[in-house]
Amino acid sequence: MEFKELDPILHSQLRLAVMSLLISVKEAEFTFLKEKTNATSGNLSVQISKLKEVGYIEIIKQFNNNYPQTICKITPEGIIAFENYVKALQSYMTL
Amino acid sequence: MEEKQLSEKESIELITSMINKAKNKVTESGALYLFWGWLILLCCIVQFTGLHFFNYTNSYYVWYSTWVLLIFQFFYIIKQKKSSSVKSYTGEINGFVWLVFFISMVLVIFISIHFKYYEIIYPLILVMYGMPTFLSGIILKFKPLIIGGASCWVFAILSSFVTSEYQSLFIAAAVIAAWIIPGYLLKKNYKKADNGI
Repeated sequence: MEFKELDPILHSQLRLAVMSLLISVKEAEFTFLKEKTNATSGNLSVQISKLKEVGYIEIIKQFNNNYPQTICKITPEGIIAFENYVKALQSYMTL
Repeated sequence: MEEKQLSEKESIELITSMINKAKNKVTESGALYLFWGWLILLCCIVQFTGLHFFNYTNSYYVWYSTWVLLIFQFFYIIKQKKSSSVKSYTGEINGFVWLVFFISMVLVIFISIHFKYYEIIYPLILVMYGMPTFLSGIILKFKPLIIGGASCWVFAILSSFVTSEYQSLFIAAAVIAAWIIPGYLLKKNYKKADNGI
């Protein structure tokens, strides 16, 4: 049985939580991710920046009624990485 | 959420829990079902009363009020989109289902009037009502909408056997079953989810 390596970017609690939320919706605001993950704004900010750096998510900054708004969206690369991560997990779980 | 080393089992549990959290967000408040349900019901009652009791043949003018609600709906949807913190795939698909319904409805009414087939307009409207209501019920996994959509088709068949004067009563019954009752149930669910009960 061959072990598939777990993607270190996704094998982190908060980043995996963010990716799991984003894979379920079309796009989500920063506040939505913060509410669902119970993370602090600082930590969440750092983690979504890491996901953006590797191209797993897209971050759109805009203004809504004069308030800054950060919208996050999973990219096609992110979807592939997430699917591969789940497949790798399954290979461990079926042991 | 603190950072810690995840085991494979914890990873799977985390993924499942987050997907469920995103899935369980109740985004349908039922407001548009209620706005449209009550307006159409009112139009049907006014038209039937005007025709049946006062012999007023122009009572169908009341239907022009739907254009006012259409304009209101346009601004309402824009406001809703701006205030929503998440956009789901189901919400997007549902939006397109209702857009297709609106376009088809306008075309069906236009073609029926063009060929002067006035008596089939109401049964066809009922067939049209059933389609997006039923599909929304499937998309939102909400049984009252599925039942409401199916009841529109039953009313469509029944309305084919009565004169156009009485057909408006079948539309009234259909909007109660398809939009007003499910609308209040959706509103109840939305309030419940909003309060975190």
